[in-house]
Amino acid sequence: MASFIAQRLWQSIILVFIVSIITFFLINLAPGGPSSMMRMDATAEERAAIAEQLGLDEPVIVRYGEWLASAVQGDLGTSLSTGQPVIERIAERFPHTLQLTILTLIVSVFVGLVLGIIAAMRRNRISDYAINFLAVIGLSVPSFWLAIMLLLLFSVTLQWLPSSGVAPEGSGIWEQVTFLLMPVLILSTSTLPTIVRFMRSSMLEVISQNYVRTARAKGVKEMVVIYWHAMRNALIPVVSIIGVLIPRLLGGAVIVESVFGWPGMGRLIVEAANARDYTLVMGVTIVVTLVVVLTNFLVDIIYSKIDPRVKNY
Amino acid sequence: MKFKSSWLVMLFTLMLFTLAACGGGSSSTPESTPEESESNNGGEEAAPAQGGEISIPIVADPIFNPWHPNAYVESNIVNRIIFSGLTKPGKDTVPSPSLATEWSASEDGLVWTFKLRDDVKWHDGEDFTADDVAFTFNGLVLDESKGANSAANFQAVKEVKKVDDYTVEFHMNRPWSALPAYLGFNAEIVPQHILEGTDVWNNTEFNKETPIGTGPFKVVNNTPGQSVELEANEEFFLGRPNLDKVTYKILADVNTHIAQAMTGELDIFSLEDTSSLERLESVNTLKIEPRDVTRYYWLGVNQNDERFQDAKFRQAIMHAINRPAIIDNILKGYATVADAAISPNLEKYYTNDVTQYDYDPEQAKALLEEIGYTMNSEGVMEKDGETLSFEFDVAIQGDLVTIAQLIQQDLKAVGMDVELVTMDWNSMIQKDVVERNYDMMMNWWTYPDDPDVYAQYHSSNADTGNNIPNYKDEEMDRLLELGRQTTDPDERAEVYKELQAYMSEELPYQYLWYPQETIVMNAKLNNVPDLNYGASLHYVNEWTLDQ
Repeated sequence: MASFIAQRLWQSIILVFIVSIITFFLINLAPGGPSSMMRMDATAEERAAIAEQLGLDEPVIVRYGEWLASAVQGDLGTSLSTGQPVIERIAERFPHTLQLTILTLIVSVFVGLVLGIIAAMRRNRISDYAINFLAVIGLSVPSFWLAIMLLLLFSVTLQWLPSSGVAPEGSGIWEQVTFLLMPVLILSTSTLPTIVRFMRSSMLEVISQNYVRTARAKGVKEMVVIYWHAMRNALIPVVSIIGVLIPRLLGGAVIVESVFGWPGMGRLIVEAANARDYTLVMGVTIVVTLVVVLTNFLVDIIYSKIDPRVKNY
Repeated sequence: MKFKSSWLVMLFTLMLFTLAACGGGSSSTPESTPEESESNNGGEEAAPAQGGEISIPIVADPIFNPWHPNAYVESNIVNRIIFSGLTKPGKDTVPSPSLATEWSASEDGLVWTFKLRDDVKWHDGEDFTADDVAFTFNGLVLDESKGANSAANFQAVKEVKKVDDYTVEFHMNRPWSALPAYLGFNAEIVPQHILEGTDVWNNTEFNKETPIGTGPFKVVNNTPGQSVELEANEEFFLGRPNLDKVTYKILADVNTHIAQAMTGELDIFSLEDTSSLERLESVNTLKIEPRDVTRYYWLGVNQNDERFQDAKFRQAIMHAINRPAIIDNILKGYATVADAAISPNLEKYYTNDVTQYDYDPEQAKALLEEIGYTMNSEGVMEKDGETLSFEFDVAIQGDLVTIAQLIQQDLKAVGMDVELVTMDWNSMIQKDVVERNYDMMMNWWTYPDDPDVYAQYHSSNADTGNNIPNYKDEEMDRLLELGRQTTDPDERAEVYKELQAYMSEELPYQYLWYPQETIVMNAKLNNVPDLNYGASLHYVNEWTLDQ
């Protein structure tokens, strides 16, 4: 186990390093510069003065070296657009994205498992078709369109839910739920259908196994067969895809946060990229990469624990 | 079953934990719209209604320093109510007093003297004096190494001298009649006692948390990514504002602005995309008002390209484009056809006695033929064996791409083989403005309520400055310089009328339309002066909200 962890840790460090190189050079290759240099009416002298202040007159490779040297010491630099420490800007937004993605994951897993099991147990019946149809719709409909439609329905027409933002500090649970409902629902469309389909096929495979047949033959109640014997084994492949869904969730957050005015990391990286705030783009990318690497790492460990056939060490 | 229930309890606990992580957990407060939560202490007919709170959308977090290199667009409309300038846009488009009570220029136009109010206090209680004005200009704006926002507007200013506590002199490099107008255009004064000796652009306590201004509202709470809350400045030098509170909500998506206007969560904003206009007009709690704005949209063809240097080519472009159709169909009528650079709201200076270009594709073709082009079998104009092919750059911004597509069709119809290239704003500035690496582009200019358009037309600003088409013409330079030096308003008006006539003939830019802003407002919001949205914010202290 220790050697497995050490090996994964080493791989993760290499991965984060590669991501940092690619991101730094890509964002610097994008045309234009920090938005302070990109005003329509800025003179060449103004642009040069700002570039010098921001240290952008150095070659990209030198700037990357400087960034890396600071980053390994935990200093992600200062945001080019506001002068605040990058860590501070990320800390303002990270909890909101964390709240949104964790809740979405819980909802997706919980609802996805239930629907997946129903679809498997009622295979080729109307409810199976209905669930499959909804899963395909969820995967195909663009989330920004769906988000705007929900906004028009629940906020504008019915006025049941707030149209944007997060609940004010000190709000009760119910008020928080009203603010979270639409963003979580929309973000779920990027993960829920996958979990449903995985669970369905995994369940179908499991219930055709001999031990399930044996349990039924012994007269064990169907509910116990399904939810105790079969589901435990059917869950194994589903756990493995959660790691894959995390980046998808964080990607989906960009759109959801923009439409619902949710002050999270997704919106921050869009703002940073548009403003060519190089240091902030790097900071957000590195933090997101670390989250993805860490969750995949945890998923691997959990996977090896719940499936004795998998030996990582 | 035992497994199932324990699993559910675990999930439920985790959900509660996640919810609690981002909030308090006290009793729930009911939803309330701004109107419902107003204090109710006004409403007499004689006196303006007192009290009330309004919400305004902005698309990103603002920076509370009007001169910060990154403070523009969303920051401008926030800073306008926190800080004050020496002047502000007048309701009659003539600069109006603000921190300065009166001003005058010396005979030679090289010294401007401004008398300042002596009853102004900063939000922290300190007195506002001439030192603050001198610091703002000498310390920030005129220091080229700082790259202050809008510093380019003040290139004519050499230095600012304090005469006494309430008098300053602007010493000029050259005469500049437009100085008072520019001092009311994103040129607010910042406090010397707070900023002097600090790293101004990285002073996050001031720029991002608690700015100190002299304006009608002061920041009480800034939640990044969510909102900036401001309350009335009881000590405001023109008297306490009528409203109690202004909240700027940070909403990146314009669809959200529209939805929130419909639900009463937003009280005023300028509508960028007119496609939702009809939906908003049907909401009886809103009023939609067109407002004139000092702005014009244009096409520019790069004058460093020989193909575009003949005025007849540029005139052909003007005849080829169906501008009335663009105004009717895309802009929903909220614009008028433009033929020069001075917008009609500058009544004293504007003239329609200029060369006008009807939509006339045949005339466009005839003009191209006059300069040696012939139509080939594929319907493309040719000259000396070369087809008339060029790229048309447009930034993805509001309605611009849709309009550019219509323009492309119109130009193709007269034999110009135009390829549309869309890009993000930042890329467009780099390619077209910084590198001047373009054939044709489309954009707009906004300027203060003054006809001085020297920066966008003078040959000294070609290739590196704001003369983006790189147009160089001696007569144009002469008129621009004359306009700057002439102090008598009537004489000045004549100069600018002559300039417009010359522009409309020569077409350094190909003029498209003078827009009208579409302001979406809560029907209960009153006393917003009949100015464009940005300028009306200078009068936020006068706004009232009916109870």
